[in-house]
Amino acid sequence: MGKKISFILNGVKREVYVEPNELLLNVLREKMGLTGTKYGCGIGECGACTVLLNGNPVLSCLTLAMDVDGKELVTIEGLAQEELQIIQRTFLEEGAVQCGFCTPGIIIMAKSLLKNKTNPTEEEIREYLKGNLCRCTGYVNIVKSIKRAAGKACKKC
Amino acid sequence: MTETREVTAERGPFFFKRELGKEEGEYKLVGREIERPDAFSKIMGLTKFTADRLTEDVCFGKIVRSKYPHALIKRVIVDEALQIKGVLAVITAKDVPGENQIGYAIPDQPLLADKKVRYIGEPIAIVVAENEYAAEKGVEAVKVEYDPLPAVFDPLEALKPEAPKVHEKGNVALTTIIRKGDVEKGFKEADVVVENIYYTQRQEHAYLEPEAAIAYPEGDGIRVVLCTQSPFLVREFVSRVTGYSQSKIKVIGAPAGGAFGGKDDMGPMVASKAALAAIITKKPVAIILDKEETFVASNKRHPAIIRYKSGATKDGKLTAVEIEIIYETGAYANRSPFVLWRATVHSAGPYVVPNAKVDGKSVYTNKVFSGSFRGFGDPQIHFAAEQQMDELAEKLGIDPVEFRLRNVLKEGTRTVCNQLLEESVGMEETLKKVAEAANWKKKREELKKYRKGSKVRGIGVACAYHGISTSRGVPDWSAAAVLLNEDGTITYRSTITRLGQGSLIGHAKIVAEILDIPLEWVHIEEPDTSASPNARPTHGSRGLMTGGTAAADAALKLRRTLIKLASELLNCDEKNVKLENGKAFCALDPSNKIEFSELAKETYQRGYQPAYYGFYFVPRRYFDPETGLGVAYCVYTYIANIVEVEVDKETGEVKVLEAYTGADVGKAIDPGLIEGQMQGALAQGIGYAISEEVAFNDGKIINPNYTDYIIPTVKDVPRKVKVVIIEKPYSSTAFGAKGVAEAALIPTAPAIANAVAHATGVRVRNLPLTKEKVCFKLKEGKK
Repeated sequence: MGKKISFILNGVKREVYVEPNELLLNVLREKMGLTGTKYGCGIGECGACTVLLNGNPVLSCLTLAMDVDGKELVTIEGLAQEELQIIQRTFLEEGAVQCGFCTPGIIIMAKSLLKNKTNPTEEEIREYLKGNLCRCTGYVNIVKSIKRAAGKACKKC
Repeated sequence: MTETREVTAERGPFFFKRELGKEEGEYKLVGREIERPDAFSKIMGLTKFTADRLTEDVCFGKIVRSKYPHALIKRVIVDEALQIKGVLAVITAKDVPGENQIGYAIPDQPLLADKKVRYIGEPIAIVVAENEYAAEKGVEAVKVEYDPLPAVFDPLEALKPEAPKVHEKGNVALTTIIRKGDVEKGFKEADVVVENIYYTQRQEHAYLEPEAAIAYPEGDGIRVVLCTQSPFLVREFVSRVTGYSQSKIKVIGAPAGGAFGGKDDMGPMVASKAALAAIITKKPVAIILDKEETFVASNKRHPAIIRYKSGATKDGKLTAVEIEIIYETGAYANRSPFVLWRATVHSAGPYVVPNAKVDGKSVYTNKVFSGSFRGFGDPQIHFAAEQQMDELAEKLGIDPVEFRLRNVLKEGTRTVCNQLLEESVGMEETLKKVAEAANWKKKREELKKYRKGSKVRGIGVACAYHGISTSRGVPDWSAAAVLLNEDGTITYRSTITRLGQGSLIGHAKIVAEILDIPLEWVHIEEPDTSASPNARPTHGSRGLMTGGTAAADAALKLRRTLIKLASELLNCDEKNVKLENGKAFCALDPSNKIEFSELAKETYQRGYQPAYYGFYFVPRRYFDPETGLGVAYCVYTYIANIVEVEVDKETGEVKVLEAYTGADVGKAIDPGLIEGQMQGALAQGIGYAISEEVAFNDGKIINPNYTDYIIPTVKDVPRKVKVVIIEKPYSSTAFGAKGVAEAALIPTAPAIANAVAHATGVRVRNLPLTKEKVCFKLKEGKK
């Protein structure tokens, strides 16, 4: 049965019963039906499960579901509310997506980076993303996408 | 030796120009970069990978694995596990209704070990439970009683007569051979001879998505959804294990979160277990490996030991090679016959070598089995071949690029297997273009200035070639289906799978180009063995080349039907009917036209066939396995990489600063997708060269995670990467396309090793080039 927690998920207030040892990643995927957040390693090494908690990126595989009680959560599914985020658009245009498994986590991180720093240097981009692994792209077009998104006016970021 | 060629239809660029009545420049999709149609759902987090399809009724299967590298199984005690709440069944070898055999080419590998285990992590039993937690508890509760046996972990040890036998028939899984010309004479003619031993390590695929399969009992059959590279191969194995006829098994290929060969081998193994569990419990069952299991129990790139002797004359011509290859296959042969043959027939690199003696051995040890991994045996052998080339060049005082150019395969020359190369041989042009892009000559001189201080720089080159499709005389074909719907849209079916590479996007582009309709009108169906024709595996860089040619065959058949129909409707001679931008019109009077949707409706109304099966059979010729001579592959992709590195002489750290990679791809159906493949393969090659190595302690993998097994992060890849695409079309395939997915990885490690040698004067012949190894070599060099 567990304990009832309530939080804002992608702009909507949600309530759910969770066990004390239940991880946010599992609650999102199994109880909320939001499978865009990925299980890659389960131990915080790959970054595929990254979500925004109160605007900051966290690894949902290392976050207890209980800890999001009363907070605001954004997953990849909730990122584009009315229109695509600039970073999503540049990902499409630059061919930054291959298998797409790391993509949600990387887009969430890029969004967070651009919110904190509107015009990061290439090295700052690389430093910020070093915890997100991608095995397909060699990161070339991912970095290109973020550089291009950074150059643009980013009011909503 | 006979060299008769099987007759195949010519389908290359000239054929398509003629058939479509267009010049290449007029193509709207082929040759042009497009925005990937599958990317939108990925950036929205909506793509459904296998594990994203779990529903509440799905049970979980977890695997009991061997704790010993080599032991007899005395007993498997399952009673306690069965007492756990939620546990539905514990399945062992005796419960397998069909054959308990999963060996790919050699029947040496059980699905569930019964008599003996041969590596740590080998599956022994499957615990099926209503939830994951109960399944995990169940795994802990299963007791396996072992009788440990002496184990062997080193391939050279395994070859000794007194070594423990991994398999009854001995530790050599198979051998390969090439005997060409007279090697002794060749070395006599040589002015310089270089001989070295090279060592390469086990590499883990490390795709982010772990292996997963969900099996559903359905009527009197079964449906399996999984990330796989070959739905039909999965079906074959599920049939073998369950005893179900193939017609009662439906396999759906879900998008994979990376595969790189790993899911080619693992797909059938994971799917068979899930299917077995579903049949026995009569419930849908998911088997999803956790990351540690993936590291411990999935196939790896074969480690290799290669003794390589090569000779050249003072004017820079190769005279002979003598090569001994040992590929460690681990506990089971798996794909070794194919991997070792590929390595053997590519062993001289993309060069003309008149005399060759090559002997390959695949050796069993008590470690996790080796298997398919991007490059499939070629990265190891090129690591040796391409360093040999640099050493010969150095001894001869010839520039390494120049030395290679004097020996490269060209049209009309013969490979190490004596295969006459008749067409589509772009090695020379690829190397020249890549050298030009990298500004090779100037850089090679300039970087000599970076020799002072602790950080030094160098630039290195390596070439490679890679046969596409299956090797030797092994038949290969592909199929596809095109259905014209009544509204003019197209339903496209193939079982080439979606691994991130985008082969099916290439197929759709080919279909849309041939029909001259917008790409959005072609809907790609999910690969499904019950509905899609057998396109055969998505491996060997064949997904686009063979699958796309089958797609073209189907689309051309539909095109011819539509032209005939339009001729009737427009009252216009067939030769004057044009298909353009989703319309058909008469060239004599363009206002006499009909919309594609109308044409589609009329296809049905007038009794024309609306659906077509496309088929492509890959040209093959004679190959003699007794001498290793003959036609090894129908066609090859040629690759050249140049890298600039910085070596920290204090720490031994190697950094790749810039990388240039080029390939002759036949025809680029989508240059953007090709760039993506080459950039990714390059990064995987950098990991292979510098940081990646599966490490063992007494047969147990000690780095089964991303913290200890280091794949490149965004900080570890070069800041400058340039891809060069060369097109030497192949006359047998759609628009002349060849394969490219594996290409750029193959010469990456030797290019880096050659650059390190240029920077430091020290040569590392042992992968990966870790800080320790480079440091040690530098110290050794100083003495």
